[in-house]
Amino acid sequence: MGSQPPRSFTLYCTVLFVIAVGVAVALLVVGESPPIQQVLVLGCLFVIVDNMDVDVGEQMGLSASLMIPIASIVLFQASAPGLGPLLVGMCAGAYLDHVRTGDWRKIMFNSANFGLAALIASFVFGLIVVSDPTLPPLPLLLFASIPVVLVASLANWLFVVFAMSILSHRPISEFGKQVWVSEFQLLVFGFLGVLLGQLYLTLGPWVVFLFIAPMFIARQTFASYLNLRAAHVAALATLVRALESKDRYTAGHVERVAEFAVGTGKELGFRQSRLELVRYAALMHDIGKLIVPNQILNKPGKLTASEYERMRRHEFVSVELLRRIDFLASVVPSIEADSVSFEHCADAPLETRILAVADAFDAMTSTRAYRRALTQEVAFSELRDKAGSQFDGDCVEALIRWIEASGTRYGAGFEENVADFKEPPPAAGTGSAGLGDLAVDGERVKQ
Amino acid sequence: MSRAIRFAGLAAAALIAYVIAEVCKADTEATLAVLAAGISIGEMVMLRPAGRAPLPLSFAVFTVLVRAASAPQFIVVVVAGELVAALIRPGPKAPAARALTLAERCAEALSAGAAYEIVMALGHQKETPGIVVLALTLAALAPIVVSDLVGYVQDRNIAPVRARAADVAIVASGTLMAVGYGGLGHDGDLGLLGPILFSIPLIAAWYSFELLASTRRSFEETIEALAAAPELGGLVREGHAERVADLAVSMGRTLSLSPVELDDLWTAALLHHLGVVCLDEPEDGASPDPLEVAMAGATMLRASEALARAGDVVAAEPLLHRPQEHGQPGAALSGMILKVASAYDELTEGDDEHAAWAVEALYTGPGYVYDGRVLGALERVLERRGVLATR
Repeated sequence: MGSQPPRSFTLYCTVLFVIAVGVAVALLVVGESPPIQQVLVLGCLFVIVDNMDVDVGEQMGLSASLMIPIASIVLFQASAPGLGPLLVGMCAGAYLDHVRTGDWRKIMFNSANFGLAALIASFVFGLIVVSDPTLPPLPLLLFASIPVVLVASLANWLFVVFAMSILSHRPISEFGKQVWVSEFQLLVFGFLGVLLGQLYLTLGPWVVFLFIAPMFIARQTFASYLNLRAAHVAALATLVRALESKDRYTAGHVERVAEFAVGTGKELGFRQSRLELVRYAALMHDIGKLIVPNQILNKPGKLTASEYERMRRHEFVSVELLRRIDFLASVVPSIEADSVSFEHCADAPLETRILAVADAFDAMTSTRAYRRALTQEVAFSELRDKAGSQFDGDCVEALIRWIEASGTRYGAGFEENVADFKEPPPAAGTGSAGLGDLAVDGERVKQ
Repeated sequence: MSRAIRFAGLAAAALIAYVIAEVCKADTEATLAVLAAGISIGEMVMLRPAGRAPLPLSFAVFTVLVRAASAPQFIVVVVAGELVAALIRPGPKAPAARALTLAERCAEALSAGAAYEIVMALGHQKETPGIVVLALTLAALAPIVVSDLVGYVQDRNIAPVRARAADVAIVASGTLMAVGYGGLGHDGDLGLLGPILFSIPLIAAWYSFELLASTRRSFEETIEALAAAPELGGLVREGHAERVADLAVSMGRTLSLSPVELDDLWTAALLHHLGVVCLDEPEDGASPDPLEVAMAGATMLRASEALARAGDVVAAEPLLHRPQEHGQPGAALSGMILKVASAYDELTEGDDEHAAWAVEALYTGPGYVYDGRVLGALERVLERRGVLATR
């Protein structure tokens, strides 16, 4: 978000906050008085859950936070169905990062957002259970959690997309869908919220601890899982970069392939975990190159037959090594008689086909010892040309869409860190470099 | 599509749980049968936190059973559930090991029952919330204490407090599941629905621990694959890195390195020859300079935060017989272990037939000064493995 939000955003936050406070005062005047102890316990709990600043992904974060206001809806249903949930929800404003930086717009926004969402959901809950002092049996309560959590998240979503629309000056339709939390964990957390409220009512505040402790541990563990996974991918990327330095002509190749492959996966609508798999596989795809001696990798000009053999062997080694990593096994192409590569497999997994396209695109748009880089347009048309035979058409189009949307240009004229070559590489025709034979000056030269 | 399947699965699970709870409502025997099945399933589902032995979810079921069954029923259900688990448990089939686990679990379950009964007796069997919750919490804690004792007797090892998050989850959920089953006083008695519902947070914790463990496993597999690369290229003897890693970690454990140091030693041992791939192949077919290999490898590892300490160990290894060149003091012992383990494997060429000769050669070898403490650890490990005759 920009450093100076537009005045309309300030107005929006203020109006929402004034509405929330106004409703609270009105409810107080009408005579609602929620038990102070219960408000304090759930309010503090909400502040703690909200501030447990573990990055568990936005979707997970939101649904876990909604659990507490939903518990308050059940808890206050008999005593103060409006004011109770509103006050607990408004505790969302006490987000330490915002308090520390004095970001009062966001404090007001979060406060009003969760408070009003809880209030509206509480109204829906009241309609279902028809407010009477004795709550209905548990199964009905749990069933009631479904509409309640949907209404709460819908209200939350509306407030958020309006805010985003104001901040970005873009219509809601552009990003509304990507903010919507449609994961089934929303239902699970709603369910647990209702259960928590019911438990508090019948057994007292201390059970809240017994209930929250394992949830808290699950959440922390999940966060450390995400952190560890990120750290491992980072370590792997660094290691691969270091290993790659032995081949100074292809510096950055692996990481660019990873970037292209992940971009393609995003275009194809992959989920985060699948994108991670693609990145990991891309980082490892050339690992067999480790066994090719430096002299061969860095040799200018043509290779002898035996050198070429050693060069080709690296693909077998790559596959052999990837096969040993369980969670990559699903994307490793099968070993055929004497040809193994990430291409040529029509029935290969989608991840493998994505890697083939990404690998080929980077090979074509980089300068190699045997020819200069092709332009991005030539590379695109070459990929489209071979789509359906050598490459998967959907993957080709997805990659091209992603590159065009990113606005970055690759290929001749846009390369970074091109190595110095003793013999300047020849400019190639329209050969698909890295994809087999390459025609240069009428002569067929093997890669 | 997959989302629809998830929703359907969730709904089906909820329905089945509800039906089970309803059917068992007035039927003690059915309830006990479900709990016995819960124990068997709970034995298969383990919380696997790092730095701690796996914890079975059956510990939480024991707590529910304490509340649901009389003493004779308790014993029958536990033995039945554990017997089934012993029969269908995946893993090594050795009957003796299975019988031992069975006995251990029964003892742990009995300790839960005993803890509950003792507290209730001290509280004159009054069903006040305070007493019941205390009794149930201690009943949930007792099996963990017993399993710690067993672990300590077996390998003198007790998990540190900071590795105990899973224990907290088991105790809190176990207590809550039991409270949900029987209620407190006259409130909150949910029957079997209680333990089923309150196991959800515990299952969420289990799932997170599984994800964490699988991430760790894939990283280890990646390291192992990288270690195999120089071998597949014919640059290093086959299996060298793996054998050295195995030996070095055993030696490190004997010398009481911390878990973090053991992890780094393992990584360093697997990758200590990785540097060879970055060097030019010597023209005359000679083997490359070990110092150069180690330094090239260390430089690569040090570039990334997660592997930097392993890089220090790799760098320390070849320098250690030149005392004035000590690099990283923290890595010195690990480097020495790696050096001895690697030299041992070079001497035996992976064949333990030559163990006695190799150890002798390491003690008297020309020019090299191996640390006596580390050589002692090597001897102890080899003796334990039955490779070297016990003196």
